[in-house]
Amino acid sequence: MFHKTLCAWLSFSLCTLSFAQKTFTIEGTVKNAQTQSPIAGVSIIGEGIFAVSADDGSFTLKNVGEGVYTLQATHLGYTPKYFDLEVNGQPENLLVTLSESNTLLQEVQLLGKTKEKLAKEQPLVTVEASKAFMEANRENSLMQTLSKIPGVSTINIGSGQSKPVIRGLGFNRVAVVQNGIKHEAQQWGSDHGLEIDQYGMGAIQIIKGSASFMYGSDAIAGVVNIKPAAAPEEHSFSGEVNLLGESNNNLLGISTGIQARKEKWFYRARLTFRDYGDYKVPTNRINYENYIFELHENHLRNTAGMEANASFSVGYISDHIKSETFFSNVYNKNGFFANAHGLEVRTSSIDYDRSDRDIDLPYHQVNHFKITNNTVITGNKHTLYFETGFQNNQREEHSEPVPHGYMPKPAHSKEREFHKNTFSLNIRDAFQMQKGHSMHAGVNLEFQQNTIDGWGFLIPAFNRFTAGVFAYNQLEINPNLHLQAGLRYDFGFLDTKAHVDWYPSTRTNEDGSTSYIYLQRAQNKQLDFGNMSASVGLSYLQNHTTYKINIGKSFRMPLANELASDGVNYHMYRYERGNIDLDPETSYQLDIDIDHTAELFSVGISPFVNVFDNFIYLNPTPNYFETLQIYEYTQNKVFRMGAEVRASTTLFDNLQVDASMEYVYSRQTSGAKKGFTLPFAPPLSTLLSASYQFKKLLFFKKPQFIVDYRITAAQDEIVPPEEKTAGYQVLNMALMSHFNLFKYDAQCRLKLNNAFDTKYFNHTSFYRLIDVPEAGRNISLSLTIPF
Amino acid sequence: MKLTIKHLFFILFSACIISCSSDDSVDKDEEKPTITIQYAGGFPQACAELQKGQTYTFKAKVMDNKALASYSLDLHHNFDHHTHDDQGETCDLNPIKQAVNPFIFMKNYTIEGHQTAYEINISLTIPNDIDSGDYHCSYSVTDATGWQSRTSVDIKIIE
Repeated sequence: MFHKTLCAWLSFSLCTLSFAQKTFTIEGTVKNAQTQSPIAGVSIIGEGIFAVSADDGSFTLKNVGEGVYTLQATHLGYTPKYFDLEVNGQPENLLVTLSESNTLLQEVQLLGKTKEKLAKEQPLVTVEASKAFMEANRENSLMQTLSKIPGVSTINIGSGQSKPVIRGLGFNRVAVVQNGIKHEAQQWGSDHGLEIDQYGMGAIQIIKGSASFMYGSDAIAGVVNIKPAAAPEEHSFSGEVNLLGESNNNLLGISTGIQARKEKWFYRARLTFRDYGDYKVPTNRINYENYIFELHENHLRNTAGMEANASFSVGYISDHIKSETFFSNVYNKNGFFANAHGLEVRTSSIDYDRSDRDIDLPYHQVNHFKITNNTVITGNKHTLYFETGFQNNQREEHSEPVPHGYMPKPAHSKEREFHKNTFSLNIRDAFQMQKGHSMHAGVNLEFQQNTIDGWGFLIPAFNRFTAGVFAYNQLEINPNLHLQAGLRYDFGFLDTKAHVDWYPSTRTNEDGSTSYIYLQRAQNKQLDFGNMSASVGLSYLQNHTTYKINIGKSFRMPLANELASDGVNYHMYRYERGNIDLDPETSYQLDIDIDHTAELFSVGISPFVNVFDNFIYLNPTPNYFETLQIYEYTQNKVFRMGAEVRASTTLFDNLQVDASMEYVYSRQTSGAKKGFTLPFAPPLSTLLSASYQFKKLLFFKKPQFIVDYRITAAQDEIVPPEEKTAGYQVLNMALMSHFNLFKYDAQCRLKLNNAFDTKYFNHTSFYRLIDVPEAGRNISLSLTIPF
Repeated sequence: MKLTIKHLFFILFSACIISCSSDDSVDKDEEKPTITIQYAGGFPQACAELQKGQTYTFKAKVMDNKALASYSLDLHHNFDHHTHDDQGETCDLNPIKQAVNPFIFMKNYTIEGHQTAYEINISLTIPNDIDSGDYHCSYSVTDATGWQSRTSVDIKIIE
């Protein structure tokens, strides 16, 4: 059939040739503007002219008569390009460059075609959030932006901070990787955010599932992999300014970035500054236990904050080497709700209501400084990846000094200080064993040094060294069936430092006498851990349907606070006790993903089943220590399962409708809380969203109207000390558009969050425990001006 | 090949659905214990004045649906007005002052035998050599599951 068609076509074109007077054959190539790699499958259309680029990006335009033509080059995932072609007798070699699109129809999508194909062949369940997705959905913090992805949620504290949760697990059970290096802050704490500038990053890949075999300890529930933005084009200089204003917390934000490249050398720089006031909640009083806090003009007092970030990178690209060194500094300062310091009710002589922009006690401030280098050396069959990093995380928590128990009133407000240095080195070799079979092998080394200060004690100072060796392969059994298998061994060494109270405690001895002793809260201990992790998975492509199955074993090394804490956690108003005998947490997970994407619609489901042998759980015991309830770290068996379901379709060409649902079921199947769920269990939640693409509206180009409606069920599955949380529905709307501003293609977005000012509680918010509802109505206006 | 994979997915998927629908029947305790001093014998009541050298019986009622486990009593000064009680009454506080030798009482007790109702009864003598002024008295109780309830009251210790 094909041959016949070809014959017919050839003879027809030959005929045409013989009749045409002066026609030319024009050859050309299509390349990706950023990477300079050829793009296959690009349609080049003009009046009576049509071609599709081949695998090497080349295309041929035949039978082109003299004249000037306007041609359009289009490809999914790239910005369409119009260009003029003047044909006047000289056949010329055309070079067409396409830029990766910033206005993708689908808000979450696997970037580009080859990447999409690769992701399909990869048995791990991954979702990639593009730069366009980030811009369309930007919220106050990076994780809030990503929480639109089914299976991803956040643990929030206040308006500016949140930490990642994948399928109900967060804290140290999700690894956050930036530029290949694991981001190391104080991620174990529920009131600690993620200290990363959410501007200027490339795509974000989210791995849902067991990924320890690639990333080592912590990647139990998944990975948030923040990739650097693509290198700029040769001989280019560009930049952008992002402006943001929000009504709810009176936020003003500006971020500006520039990037330039000569031939081989390039650099980028970015500055971000945000300042916000106390956020408003749709209530004027908060009922916590028997306490009532009246709120001044709906402001959640003292939740103002600011953020100042700077980053710079310099890179070099040649045929065989690509290297980029990043320097970044992120500084955050946030106040905490003043009426309850954590769970403890406080009164204060501070006049919190005099201004909604000042940051009074209690507050915290964090500075995260990072230097990382990514180097890729491409050889004939081998590609070597080197990732080196140094991170310095300094966190201070300040609160009004108050005596507690036997502790007299401290002299200053510095309750806790953590100072953590992390050195990382990753080396990986990817090599082609034969056609369709590649192998990746490497080592990860990391050294952490954590020191503490302040009058409150929660975790001891420690040094930690971890080393992992791994290998995984990707095998193409046939073009539709791919296998990935990986194995890894990790070794970890933890050295905790002794800590003694700075004040004496009163002890009644057995003989009735009283002594005053300086209690030892932590001891000098050296512990080592070893663990094997593994993963094996298959992916099968059948026409429009992709099937994936993956089974993996992951692990997590116990943290210093889980092993050795022994003190009052004032934020939670409880006594926390570590357990030096904890084993590394091990988890087995089965993941399945079925995706069917046809021309008009797409549906998918990703169920999972997960078993923990020894989940480390902070168990509330019935016992007291100096009148505070004792919480002890224990290990239990845990069973979890759940799924995300998604569907999307395009109606009447311009209306895209998306629906997604996420559900997680968790059970502790042994231990003191057998039958209970895990803390911060996300409830069943559905997100319906519709976006309508207008043709043109006044001076607005490509205006888009988006409505998101989130329906979340009640969470009745709780574990002490949680409260059941009622279900809720929230409506968000956004209007996005491009327009010309002084010849620049500017983009603006007007967003309305919580349109009806609904009072609702988020079960996974830190402030849920003190009955603080989520933020009320918010109107935000953002503007991006590229130059 | 195609069929086997399809079947495998179908089986696994149905397994998930089935296991979803069969909920375990463990009888979970989801109720907090309760604690109150708001009854005739409850002591101390809001804004009560306690005299140094006197012995008082601190009384509160605690209840739970299953089994009470422990309780505690904590008396500490509130000279800096750092906190307030949950009794719905506002007491007149003395001016803020520095603590010299404040009274600190912290003690934990257990309730034996899985009781569901219990009256806390602690006899306590207020020492003579302590700072007088505003104090805060808080009770807390846990049940065997680990749920906790607290209540607190503003009091004064006088000469």
